[in-house]
Amino acid sequence: MSKINSKRFLSPGKHLMMGNVAMSEGALSAGLNYFGGYPITPSTEVIEHLAVRMPQVGGVCMQMEDELASINSVIGASLVGAKSMTATSGPGLSLMVETISMAANLEVPFVFCDVQRNGPGTGFVTEPHHNDIGLVRFSGNGEFQVIALAPMSCQELFDLTITAFNFAELYRCPVFILSDAYLGHLHEVVTIPPKEKILDRVIQRELPPPDEYIKKFTYKDDNTGKYVIPKPPQMGTDYCPGLLLHQPHNYEGLPTPKPMQFMEAIMDKINKNKDKICITESYKLKDADIIIIAYGLPVRASYRAVDIARKEGFKVGIFRLVTVWPFPDEEVMDVVKDAKAIIVPELNYTGYIAEQVERVTKLEIPIIKIPKVCEFHHPDDILKVIKEVAK
Amino acid sequence: MSDIGRMLPNEKPEHPYVPFSYAGSMFGNFATRFCSGCGYGIIGHLFTKIFEDEKLDPHLFPTIIGIGCYSQLLLIVHTKSQKILALHGRAPALATGIKMANPNMKPIIFSGDGDCLGIGGNHFIHLCRRNLDCVIFIFNNSIYAMTGGQGAPTTLFGAQSTTTPYKMFENRSDGVELAVAAGATYVARTTVAHPRTFMKYFKKALNHKGTSVIEVITPCVTYFGRKNLDSLGAENREGEGEKMDTGQKMIDWIKQNTIRRNQAKLMTEDQLLNKYVIGEFRYQTDKPEYSDEYNKIQKFAMEEK
Ligand SMILES: Cc1ncc(C[n+]2csc(CCOP(=O)(O)OP(=O)(O)O)c2C)c(N)n1
Ligand code: SF4
Repeated sequence: MSKINSKRFLSPGKHLMMGNVAMSEGALSAGLNYFGGYPITPSTEVIEHLAVRMPQVGGVCMQMEDELASINSVIGASLVGAKSMTATSGPGLSLMVETISMAANLEVPFVFCDVQRNGPGTGFVTEPHHNDIGLVRFSGNGEFQVIALAPMSCQELFDLTITAFNFAELYRCPVFILSDAYLGHLHEVVTIPPKEKILDRVIQRELPPPDEYIKKFTYKDDNTGKYVIPKPPQMGTDYCPGLLLHQPHNYEGLPTPKPMQFMEAIMDKINKNKDKICITESYKLKDADIIIIAYGLPVRASYRAVDIARKEGFKVGIFRLVTVWPFPDEEVMDVVKDAKAIIVPELNYTGYIAEQVERVTKLEIPIIKIPKVCEFHHPDDILKVIKEVAK
Repeated sequence: MSDIGRMLPNEKPEHPYVPFSYAGSMFGNFATRFCSGCGYGIIGHLFTKIFEDEKLDPHLFPTIIGIGCYSQLLLIVHTKSQKILALHGRAPALATGIKMANPNMKPIIFSGDGDCLGIGGNHFIHLCRRNLDCVIFIFNNSIYAMTGGQGAPTTLFGAQSTTTPYKMFENRSDGVELAVAAGATYVARTTVAHPRTFMKYFKKALNHKGTSVIEVITPCVTYFGRKNLDSLGAENREGEGEKMDTGQKMIDWIKQNTIRRNQAKLMTEDQLLNKYVIGEFRYQTDKPEYSDEYNKIQKFAMEEK
């Protein structure tokens, strides 16, 4: 849309910045053109930072009257071709779910940064608590798939936000960045790559060539049997259905008498592309018989715990989920098949991911949860469990 | 569902604007899903007429439609206009995003009395407050029609609905006064019984830079008319009169109960209790418009060292 403005990119090199700011800068680098938000601790720095930065790059930062308005304006902006996002915390997310579900139906790309805080209700507003993991997965009425990425450092907040925007463009589904009160307020050194390197990575919002104009929404190619996700339609151009209805629709956007086909299209576009969406990391997994599965901040404590445990002779490794949703079933199954025990440290009481691991392993391998609420896992907490299960 | 064509009448009316309507262009017939006697058909065709006659650029005038019976206006509005169905009450917020991301556009918003003054009241207030360049219609049928005739914030005093089965005793909210207080710069009210004024106001709104609010009083025969007597609004005639079960009766009732603004100035609050005051309530061209002001900020921020 708008041509690339020199103020869009920070100077390459090292910068000390807060997590929320790193996330915002990542979004700007990815081509963010519209931000709609409403202040809420601990995500407020995002809107404050973007209120300064967006006009500098010819973009828009709107403080809307509430979260319902923010997310609706984000969808509106995305529909006319702007890369758009919002940032909020749990209570804001709760208000936004209706619109997320509408956006999933219309396959409107947008990025959603959830800086999680303690709940339920208002909770301790400045304390981290990964308690929106479940809400994010089922963030609205109806069935649809989301992508959720869990960074664990300010550098990753920058990098993964660019990935999130690319996923939004490619898969046209709600993409979440799962930050939290600690990560959002953490100050760390972030290395900003040169502008050219960033631009190489970024998938720009473009119109397809005119002969492809007819296909607008996800559909199954009759010849290959594969799902094709066309580029997002843009209001104000000819590449847009005359009518955008959030009803089961065919690839042209018209209501379809075959809701099952529509359902398959919006579910399978993610399910069938899991290999590209699910980002994972392995640490000392080769000979490990005790496996830690973690995401977000607890991964950092796990690294330390594993290093100490390895020195003491325990065969333990980490399987890190960078993409939390969709859950990488096959990969987890593959990693844990010979494991003696699985440890899942999570910054919540329920163990949302532990439940997924239980589902995948059909409860055949012992799973030990280490729940923490409003506080970090200390490496010792994890080390203690490693030693117990190794006995 | 998608077999809408089958559900439509086969008669081919001579209405000159039918071929320009969305369903008309597809099926070649007069397509509507409204009850007979409903006012929304009139509104849809007036809209299509203006859209065609004024040669509005479909790329610049998207239509954002809220949720209510009037959502089905999408079948009658101009086939070329790009239409999007918003969520219940959220159309003003969606339009804000559209307008701010592409300031060349001028969104036209359709919303109902329940949509705009009930569930979406906050968005409406802030749309007016920002004076964002767009046109917003409030279709006031005094009832929540789509869900089966429940009381709305605009339901008249003493009227019956399924959720006010004895009588409505709440105060009525006035979309026009709300819009004026919130800061909209062109505010008017008309009815479907006054199509010429409707067209005049709509054209004026299209040429106005800022938020234009047009409230349109429209009959709902099925859920308002059949339940209420035509003495509603008339003084000292409680319990008298007959049910307004046809479009004609409702249009007559609307005409009886509308008062021009200059006349209304001479009347007391009591006399105006269940009346609709029509006319232009505000027309101010010198107030700053939001997207213009934001553009100034962008220019400043981009040039700043
Ligand atoms: C969040 C939400 N709540 C409730 C509804 C159900 N609903 C659909 S239309 C409607 C009332 C619309 O009334 P109004 O705006 O006056 O339009 P009318 O049908 O009278 O034309 C309601 C309550 C909904 N669609 N979404
Ligand atoms: S229920 Fe009322 S508003 Fe709805 S179509 Fe019928 S007459 Fe019109």
